Amino acid sequence: MAEVLLTEDQLDHFRVRAAEIAHPRELVIDVLRAIQSNFGWVPDEGVELTGEILRLSPLQVEEVATFYDKIFRQPVGKRVIHVCDSVCCWSRGAEEIYAHLQKTLGISPGGTTSDGVFTLLPTCCLGACGEAPAVMIGLTTYGDLTPERLDEILERERAALEE
Amino acid sequence: MPTITIDNQRVTVPEGTNVLEAAKKLGIVIPHFCYHEALGAVGACRLCAMTFLEGSDKGPKLKGVHMSCMVTARDGMVVSTLDEESADLRRHVIEWLMMNHPHDCPVCDEGGECQLQDMTVAGGHGIRRYRGLKKTYVNQDLGPFISHEMNRCIQCYRCVRTYQDYCGGTDFGVLGCNQRIYFGRFRDGTLQSPFSGNIVDACPTGVFTDRTYRFRARPWDLEEAPSVCPHCSLGCAVIPGARYRELQRVRAGVNAKTNGFFICDQGRFGYGHANRPDRPRSPRLGEREVSWPEALGALRRELEIIIAEHGSQAVAFLGSSRASLESNAQLLELARFFGSENFALEIDPERDRAARTTAALLGECARSQEEVRRSDFVLLVGADPLNEGPMMALAVRQAVRAGGSAALIDPRPVELPFAATHLPLSPQNLPEVLKALAEERFERFSARERTVLAGISARIKEAKRPVLIGGGNLLGSSGAQLLIEAARAFSRGDRACGAALLLAGPNSFGSALLAAQSPGPDRLLAQMQEGRIRALLCLESDPFADHPEPGRARMALSRLKLLAALDYLPTETARRCDIFLPTTAPAESAGTYVNFEGRMLPFGSVFDPGVPIQITGGGDHPPRSFEAHTPGSLPRPAWAALAALRGDSLSLAHIRRNLQRSDARFAGLAELEEGGEGRRVNGAGQMPGHGPELPKHPSAEGALRLVVTECLFGSETIASFSPVLDPVRPAPVVRLHVEDGVRLGIHDGEKVRLRTELGDLAVEVRLCEAMAPGIVVLPRLRQGEWEIFVPGVHRDCILQKEGG
Amino acid sequence: MTQVLFKNRRPGETVFLDGYRKTGGYEGLQKAVKAMSPDEVREAVKESGLRGRGGAGFPTGVKWTFFPADQFGEKYLVCNADEKEPGTYKDRELLLADPHQLVEGMIVSAYALRIPVGYIFIRYGYERCSQNLERAIAEACEAGFLGDNILGSEFSFELHVHRSAGRYICGEETALLNALEGLRANPRSKPPFPAVRGLFGMPTTVNNVETLANVQHIIVNGPEWFRGLAATETGAGTKLYGLSGHLERTPCLELPIGTTLREIVEEHGGGVWKGRTFKACLPGGASTPYLAAKHLDTPLDFEPIEKAGSRLGTGGVTVFDDTTCMVAATLNLNTFFARESCGWCTPCRDGLPFVSWLLEKIERGEGTMEDIEILRGQIRNIHGRSFCALATGAMEPVASLLDLFMDEVVDHIKRGRCPLKR
Ligand SMILES: Cc1cc2nc3c(=O)[nH]c(=O)nc-3n(C[C@H](O)[C@H](O)[C@H](O)COP(=O)(O)O)c2cc1C
Ligand code: SF4
Ligand code: FES
Repeated sequence: MAEVLLTEDQLDHFRVRAAEIAHPRELVIDVLRAIQSNFGWVPDEGVELTGEILRLSPLQVEEVATFYDKIFRQPVGKRVIHVCDSVCCWSRGAEEIYAHLQKTLGISPGGTTSDGVFTLLPTCCLGACGEAPAVMIGLTTYGDLTPERLDEILERERAALEE
Repeated sequence: MPTITIDNQRVTVPEGTNVLEAAKKLGIVIPHFCYHEALGAVGACRLCAMTFLEGSDKGPKLKGVHMSCMVTARDGMVVSTLDEESADLRRHVIEWLMMNHPHDCPVCDEGGECQLQDMTVAGGHGIRRYRGLKKTYVNQDLGPFISHEMNRCIQCYRCVRTYQDYCGGTDFGVLGCNQRIYFGRFRDGTLQSPFSGNIVDACPTGVFTDRTYRFRARPWDLEEAPSVCPHCSLGCAVIPGARYRELQRVRAGVNAKTNGFFICDQGRFGYGHANRPDRPRSPRLGEREVSWPEALGALRRELEIIIAEHGSQAVAFLGSSRASLESNAQLLELARFFGSENFALEIDPERDRAARTTAALLGECARSQEEVRRSDFVLLVGADPLNEGPMMALAVRQAVRAGGSAALIDPRPVELPFAATHLPLSPQNLPEVLKALAEERFERFSARERTVLAGISARIKEAKRPVLIGGGNLLGSSGAQLLIEAARAFSRGDRACGAALLLAGPNSFGSALLAAQSPGPDRLLAQMQEGRIRALLCLESDPFADHPEPGRARMALSRLKLLAALDYLPTETARRCDIFLPTTAPAESAGTYVNFEGRMLPFGSVFDPGVPIQITGGGDHPPRSFEAHTPGSLPRPAWAALAALRGDSLSLAHIRRNLQRSDARFAGLAELEEGGEGRRVNGAGQMPGHGPELPKHPSAEGALRLVVTECLFGSETIASFSPVLDPVRPAPVVRLHVEDGVRLGIHDGEKVRLRTELGDLAVEVRLCEAMAPGIVVLPRLRQGEWEIFVPGVHRDCILQKEGG
Repeated sequence: MTQVLFKNRRPGETVFLDGYRKTGGYEGLQKAVKAMSPDEVREAVKESGLRGRGGAGFPTGVKWTFFPADQFGEKYLVCNADEKEPGTYKDRELLLADPHQLVEGMIVSAYALRIPVGYIFIRYGYERCSQNLERAIAEACEAGFLGDNILGSEFSFELHVHRSAGRYICGEETALLNALEGLRANPRSKPPFPAVRGLFGMPTTVNNVETLANVQHIIVNGPEWFRGLAATETGAGTKLYGLSGHLERTPCLELPIGTTLREIVEEHGGGVWKGRTFKACLPGGASTPYLAAKHLDTPLDFEPIEKAGSRLGTGGVTVFDDTTCMVAATLNLNTFFARESCGWCTPCRDGLPFVSWLLEKIERGEGTMEDIEILRGQIRNIHGRSFCALATGAMEPVASLLDLFMDEVVDHIKRGRCPLKR
């Protein structure tokens, strides 16, 4: 994970786009998501930077940023595990999956593992109802989960991070 | 005009009225939160439900329960508010709103004027059924004016709609989602909008309360009366509240013709002037405090002696735009009584002429704030509404929000809460541009300027309700005249073009109407210098501070044998005069102001003057110290004191009747109600004589024209004596065009020396792009050495790098 | 079974331009642009009886008649690919398999409505779908199907993908417009409808992925053909049914619209899992009323399903077996809606948490008979009273819980515990 909010290229790109379109404000989610994907989450400086690029006040950016549940305004682990707790997953064992995750990671919902790798968050339906129960780690969706499969996935995610 | 039936009563309402308003007309008040007359209907709270029994004859049939704020009344509608279905919904909505409310009414500052309390009762919710956990919030520090208690929030969104939509602020808003909604700022800190206080009025419960008034009174203990804001020429309705002989707060009054529902923060938080410990409250002969009879007797005697020695013309009378119409009229009575023709009702000669020109010429062109809000094109020329009449900026903003547009021609970097094309022309070109607009001849301007001007002129012609707004400070009297002439030129048979001029004080227009026979302040000063005027009586006027050539004014004043003053502020004049008579502050007596459009606006007396218990007893009751006189009996309304000097004792009603009898322009004055919409004067003032022309171009090489401009919280006299505003006083910086900065080698933020005819000043420079080159813009600040610069266009100045 | 939208779908694969064109891709566009006027395209869609697949089921052709199609200038076509309603995942399956279906559908629709700019609003988490779409758009541009003067005609169209950042409410069409503009995604009041004042204040039409993807097929094969695809008299076309819940198999399938619930459960879903019996289902996503065993023979098409007391919604069928506590299931659903409320109107923002509190109390065994009355009051005053359809939709399962499973609710109260808790 880069320690910059936006790379020089991204900055240029957004500045140019903001200048050429009629309603620069429409880019607010794009900029926030770019910051989040670089930095892991959106710190105050990220909100301010977004405002500066789009000619909005920090508050105007914050109004939008805090509306969404997938913009993180607090530090999170390197990988966020979104556990679907909506009805289809619930009907096929999401609660067990959730409990298993909490136990193996040693954290409660909203928490981050002490090594800073995983953050656990509940989410509403992931659109993986046919493969319930499902979780999304980062932007990858995993379905048809059992505790064993989940352990493997966590292993793989950890290993991928170490590379 | 549709006629609809609500609860078996028929009512006819104007086209476009919503059903909630229609019911209100019948006296049926249905609980509602998110709807607000000025903010419109958004259908968020779902409280104003009514049952629609019959749809309308025309348009879609509407049946069942609907939000009455969202339904436009149509002919034939039959509506019930008593129906169980909608009553059930209203009860439930209140129950939901109360789920998380902390029920901290006993310690809540809103208690006594809490709409949530009223609506809860009106909605029929009494017993709590939800037993789950309540949400709680952390509050923010929003600065010196407003306190924040989010736990009380019921999410009606009125605060953001007021702050962002109506007032154009961008640093306060709504955060979060679902049941976790937070109204606040990005970070703790002072709210930046000069209209921030309106969220206190807008909030139906105790989330935003007036921090300056916090915990000092329950609203039912306050003495209140409908009043008019004394801080600028717009005449916004206000409701000051007092307790324990102390003005404790001001909230917005409602006047559809002027401010609508809101006011600016200067009007709201500029009230401390009345409570100052150093406010002069006793009549004084020299340093000695005396009784009223003694002071009045001495003053009259002194005046008579001077008249006996030097003739009637040796005594002069100086009124002001800060004093009420009645007080100024009594000052004229007094002058007449002594046989003197030497009077002026404004000390600044250019402001005097600008106001008199406006009063003489405006006539049918006059436009109210309300008419500006409804305008579809507004052109501002030499007008900086945020600083010279803040609510006018909001009026134009509403016009722009409703689909209109706005343009600005002004040398200064003018900040506006709406989008507008800005053409920065130098001040000496403003009259020219007005002429050019009226005649549609733009040859003398540069290519770029021509395009902008042609665009502006086309927009004025297309517009159905165009208004030109000027500022008296920058346009002066010739500019005011040209602006009004331009409005006339743009008027056509099918529609008129309006005009408005932002003047100096709350009664500038009224004083100007009375000043027809005045030789003007310049003549007075000249005669004082020549020793022909020996005595000057100042009515709520401070010639030491407010004349554009302070040196000359001081010199002239020093030659007087007698300087007398009536005031309620510890001004320099009040301090230095030989005889002093303490007058009531605006909230302590009734009176009338005539606002910038010529509207007579009477105001009521809120409370009796007197030393606040805060001062006499450290806030405790009863007072701990004893004095010979009743604390509080001393200041008198200026009009009463002036009448007493003639040996007369008149009531205010009597003065008003005399005024309307002797001067047809004030017809109807005596019948006007305080807190009403007021009424335009019936007729005009007289044109003043010409003043000296400013040289067209800077004289010296490298010299810049000095433009002194009013600034909110920093310039206006009364507000400058209100300590509550101290934390938000503007910074002493001057502004300069970037090009000039480059030419002079001056950088942004640099400290340099400003050399002027009046004196030198060490200043910090801000470089700006959006202003005319060739000028230095200096804020009018009433602090120390800055005070000598009064608003208007001055002669040349030079900026020098320190040590250079 | 006729496969229209899923005809190119292979497990684990995505079809791009070549594959798409092999089975007739972009023929609809060619036909529309070269041989038909925009008018005729709109007429064909209207004739076809296509109804919106996003949940409300409004006839698409009729919706388009409200749109100022003949006016030129700034107008927008927005595809709603937010898809966050629990039980709904058909759009995802389509975009994972065959993204050009949507791209072509949008181009033809834009042609019909004379719209120069389109947006696909896609939810957070559908990253692969977004990438598929971006690639499909690039390919279509390359091939001259998108961009200026498409296929040598006067018609030009540009298409953007907008990735969202969560929140179910963004799927509500006016909230979606605010979200696209970079504002808080609160719904707007209607009127004015998006067709009059939509994105950036200009005329806009918002349609679902599946709806738009049907358009070019109607153009190629004609409205008659489309009507003929349905299993019911009143229906038109195929439908993507996403199966979930307590079934042996939970695929997403394209079937004639109006296939019966029984066929879907027993044949395509392989029956209720673990040999258990059918207790209830949500026939069209989380905001549709439950259907019970007695409704198994209902054809899953708009009209018959409404007669049975529910709605087709999005066609996401979630089945519950006989061991399911319906109070707990409803609590789960309601809590979803409470969490995803945008916070604008009172019944939703505060009413849904109230309902969750009540259901939880009943589920815990602490409910009273009076609570049922309180619950009825909540339903009565939330349903149809909220600002947008979110909270109203939330009440549908709750109301049907009381209609269909009252005994079970009362059982909780009488026994002071959940009778089905394992
Ligand atoms: C709370 C809420 C969420 C919605 N979410 C979606 C969605 O994710 N996708 C969708 O196509 N329609 C959704 N809709 C329906 C849309 O508002 C709209 O009716 C639809 O996009 C129109 O497209 P159609 O006519 O093609 O169905 C939602 C509606 C509501 C009230
Ligand atoms: S029902 Fe109300 S609060 Fe809920 S999502 Fe719609 S507008 Fe927002
Ligand atoms: S006042 Fe009508 S919904 Fe709030």
